[in-house]
Amino acid sequence: MTNAALFLGGAKQRLLPASLPFRFFVTAAVFHAAAWATLLAAAGDLPGFTGSTGLVLAALHLMTIGVLLMTAMGASYQLLPVATGAPIGRLWAIRLSHLLLVPGTILLTLGMALSGPTLMAAGALTTVAALVIFTGLAIGNIRHAGKAMPLVAAHGWGALLSLAVFASLGLLLVLDFSGGFLSDHIGLARAHMLWAAWGFMGLLAFGFSQVLVPMFALARSVPRRVGWIELTASLVALFAGGIGFAAQIPALVILAGVGTLAGAAGYLWQMRAALKSRMRKRLGTPFVLIRLSWVMLAAGLGLALVVLALPSWESGPALAGFWLLVGWLLSFLTGVLQKIMPFLASMHAVGRGGRPALQSDLTLQAPLRLHLICHILALVLISAGLAFSVSPLVLAGAFTGFLGSLGFLWFAIFVVSRLR
Amino acid sequence: MTEDLPGHDWQEEDGLHINVQGLQPPEPMLGILGRIESLTAPAQVTVHHDRDPIYLYPELAERGWSWEIVPGAPGEVRLILRKRP
Repeated sequence: MTNAALFLGGAKQRLLPASLPFRFFVTAAVFHAAAWATLLAAAGDLPGFTGSTGLVLAALHLMTIGVLLMTAMGASYQLLPVATGAPIGRLWAIRLSHLLLVPGTILLTLGMALSGPTLMAAGALTTVAALVIFTGLAIGNIRHAGKAMPLVAAHGWGALLSLAVFASLGLLLVLDFSGGFLSDHIGLARAHMLWAAWGFMGLLAFGFSQVLVPMFALARSVPRRVGWIELTASLVALFAGGIGFAAQIPALVILAGVGTLAGAAGYLWQMRAALKSRMRKRLGTPFVLIRLSWVMLAAGLGLALVVLALPSWESGPALAGFWLLVGWLLSFLTGVLQKIMPFLASMHAVGRGGRPALQSDLTLQAPLRLHLICHILALVLISAGLAFSVSPLVLAGAFTGFLGSLGFLWFAIFVVSRLR
Repeated sequence: MTEDLPGHDWQEEDGLHINVQGLQPPEPMLGILGRIESLTAPAQVTVHHDRDPIYLYPELAERGWSWEIVPGAPGEVRLILRKRP
């Protein structure tokens, strides 16, 4: 028996069939290109975006649901059973969650682009159905993790709580586009963004980083006490900001800002400690993106506080949101995917002589470089365009972002083609 | 310096033994890779683990090592690692 067959046989409870995580990753790569293409079409509207329906809102949700949530679900399904040592549950349920999330994202974002409340509601309900399945599977798994990896599990619980809150708020916001029953749509939209970006995606990123970053860098475990401080500060920020935005209580919003800064400081301290102790000296293109994401996390939170202090700065909220969404979360997730896709593929693909395929043979540098350069250029151009309200710069940035997303899609298709 | 690495090791007649039981991921991976990278001659290494370390295998393959799961003590996953010629 080959090595690959041996370990697959021994670990089938924890290693999912390749088609399961990869269907989420490839779909995310397709939505990534769709998000940039939509932003390209909506570049003129981005500087003054305030949350109303239209192409910018559609691009935003193609990015958040289509790319970030899709990736988070695929990665969680594969990483949770490895971290907890417990199986994830029924495989058909994973397939069903993907089958629901794809049309849910398309309907929701199409409804947003066309300002069609019925399409939006249908998309939101389908997306929530996918999230309910994901939540059920994740709860079933994480409750076995407590003793093994308490800090990762605690982040997982926080992320699942956030998911329930942001999905409920999102559903209310969508229904409000046709019903108009909410007294403060913008306040709830801000709370929805906080729980989605900081609560769900942020806590998942912080939690998985405890294992993934030391694993990729071959480093000692991160300082756990700092991790608990980070988690506490992050949860304080979520509750304070959630109530502060919804009930318009400025003191709570400021407390949330301080909480996110403290949480980010704790997380960045942990990551610095991990990289200081690393054995692997050359970390490659993925870690350029991951390090960029850490810089943008700090910069984005700092800018968000400036925006709170300067409410008259019209394009400030869009710029801070862009830095956090694209600069932090998208940079981080595309960096992680660039590491994890060849890594997972090497477990499934069989190379020459029946030996496991090497990760290095499953990585293609040209599209990754194209993506990296275009991603950074897009960040710079769109930031300048938003800061100085120059739409052609936003347009140029969206075009380079779209080019980069094609590079990323090329890489994803290459890795999947090596699985056969 | 293997004493700085997670887990502990000792020599037996059949080669180096590494025990990484009780460590949280990714410390077992670090303990194993750090030690096998410091070996100067082709060798056989026995790893005492408490789980099937599926994320270790791509790293071993990348470094030219093969592996085999062999019977171990109850609750233990024992691996024999060999440097491929």
